[in-house]
Amino acid sequence: MYGIAAITAKNGWAMALAGALIVMTGLSVLALVISQLHKLAQLIENRRTAPAQPDTPPPAEKTIPSFNIEEIKTRYGLMAQQLGDSFELTRLYHLARDSGFPHVHLSIRSLRETGQLVPLGDGMFSWQK
Amino acid sequence: MELLLQFLSNTGYYLVDYRNLIMICVGSVFVYLAISKQYEPLLLLPIGFGVLVGNIPFFKGFGIGIYEPNSVLHYLYFGVTTGVYPSIVFLGLGAMTDFSSLLAMPRLMLLGAAAQMGIYTTLLSALALGFTAPEASSIGIIGGADGPTSIFLTAKLAPHLIGPIAIAAYSYMALIPIIQPPIMRLLTTKEERCIHMPEIRQVSRIERLLFPVAGLILCCFLASASIPLLGPFFFGNLLKESGVVDRLANTARTAIIDTATIFLGFTVGASTQADVFLTPKSIGIFFLGAVAFSIATASGVLFAKIMNLFLKQKINPLLGAAGVSAVPGSAREVHLVGLKADPSNYLLMHAMACNSSGVIGSAVCAGILWSFNVV
Repeated sequence: MYGIAAITAKNGWAMALAGALIVMTGLSVLALVISQLHKLAQLIENRRTAPAQPDTPPPAEKTIPSFNIEEIKTRYGLMAQQLGDSFELTRLYHLARDSGFPHVHLSIRSLRETGQLVPLGDGMFSWQK
Repeated sequence: MELLLQFLSNTGYYLVDYRNLIMICVGSVFVYLAISKQYEPLLLLPIGFGVLVGNIPFFKGFGIGIYEPNSVLHYLYFGVTTGVYPSIVFLGLGAMTDFSSLLAMPRLMLLGAAAQMGIYTTLLSALALGFTAPEASSIGIIGGADGPTSIFLTAKLAPHLIGPIAIAAYSYMALIPIIQPPIMRLLTTKEERCIHMPEIRQVSRIERLLFPVAGLILCCFLASASIPLLGPFFFGNLLKESGVVDRLANTARTAIIDTATIFLGFTVGASTQADVFLTPKSIGIFFLGAVAFSIATASGVLFAKIMNLFLKQKINPLLGAAGVSAVPGSAREVHLVGLKADPSNYLLMHAMACNSSGVIGSAVCAGILWSFNVV
C-alpha cells in the first residue's frame, strides 16, 4: 500500500500531528519554566544571604565563570577559522567580545596556556588544529 | 596444491563482488572528506574506516562479520543495537553543553521545537512510500540531524535499518555547509539576515544548576521513553555545572564520549556490509533523509519568521536553521550566513542556544515516536 491510503492505514496523520503538538507543547513549557528560573535563583540567593546581612541590601548576583576548556576551544576555533591561518590576538579578542562571549580575557589566556594559540612571532598567532 | 586452492578460494580477492567494491569506494570517500575537507572528521573518519572494514569479503561461518554471533565486531556492535553507545554519547554531550545562552533567551527554545517538524513530515513521506510505521519513524528522526538519537531510535524500532539510517544521518550532518545555506538564503530577505540579536545577559550559577533538573523532569515526564537519552544528557550537564565533580565532568566530556564515538562510528560503518546495505530501501532512506534535513531547516526558519509577526524584538530568522541538533555545525553555518549579510552581525551564541534546544527536541521526538510504536 502506498500514498495517502498507506498513511491513513498506518495511523500516520495522528502520529505526526500528535507528535508535533507534544514536542511543541513540551518545549514551550520548558521555555516558560526556564524564563522564570532567574526569579527562583534570585529567591534562593536572597534566602541564602538574608540571615547573614538582614539590614543590608542583597549583593549583586554572583556569577562563577564556567570554565570548560573544550567548550572554549570549540567556540574560539570557529572564530579562528574566520581569521585565517595567522592573526593578531586583538582581532580574536574583538570578535569574541562582539559575539557576546563571556570572560574573553580569561578564555584567550587559557587558550595560550594550553598551547591552542601558537605564537608565530611579530604579535601574530595561529590556531593549533 | 589443494590446500593452496582452498586458501585462495577463501581470500577476499576470490569472494569479492561489485557491491563490496561500491561500498569500499563510499568508505574511501568518507575517509577523504574527513581528512582532506575536515567534514565532521570525528564521525566520518571512524564511520568511513568502518565501512572499509565491513566490506572486506570474508568466508561466512568464520565468526568474523559483524552479523555473525560471537564475532568481535558483533560484540562491539552490541553497544549500538542496545542503544548503549548513544546514551553514553549523550552523557558526554551534556557535560560539554553550556546552556547559558538558552537560559538567557528561552524563546529561542521554540526554534529547536519548530525544526523538529522535519521529522514528522518525513514520517508521513516514508509511510506514503510503503515503509512500515516503525521504519518510517526511524527514517523520520534523521530530520532531527542527531546521529546518536537516530541510531538509538532505529535500534529500538527497526534494527535492520541501522546501517543506512546512521550513514544517512551522519552524511547529512557532514553536508550541512552544502545543504543549509541555500535554504536559509531562499527563505529570508537580506534585511532579515541583517537583524542583530540583543546581547546575552549573564546567567547565574544557580540558574545553570536548576536547569538540568527542571529539564529532566519536564521532558521525561512528558516523553518517558526519552529517559535513556535525556537522563544521561542532563546528568552530564549537572556534573559540569555543579563545579564539585570536575574530574567526573572532565572524563565524561573527553575520555567517555571519545571512546563511545570511536566504537559507535566504527561499528556503524562496519554494519554496512554490501549485501545488507545496498538495497532499494537504502536508496529510499537516503532520499528521505535529504528531505527530512531540508524540511527541518526550512521549518525552523519559517517558524522564526512567524514568531517575528508577534514579537517586538525581532529574531533573526536564520537562527531557525540552527534548531536542528547538529552541534555545532549548523550554528556555525547560521553565523557565517549572518556574517555574509552583515559583517558586524554575530549570531554564534544565539545559534548555539537553538542548537542545544534542538538536541533536547530531537531526543523528546525519539521518545514520542518510540512510545507511539510500542502502544
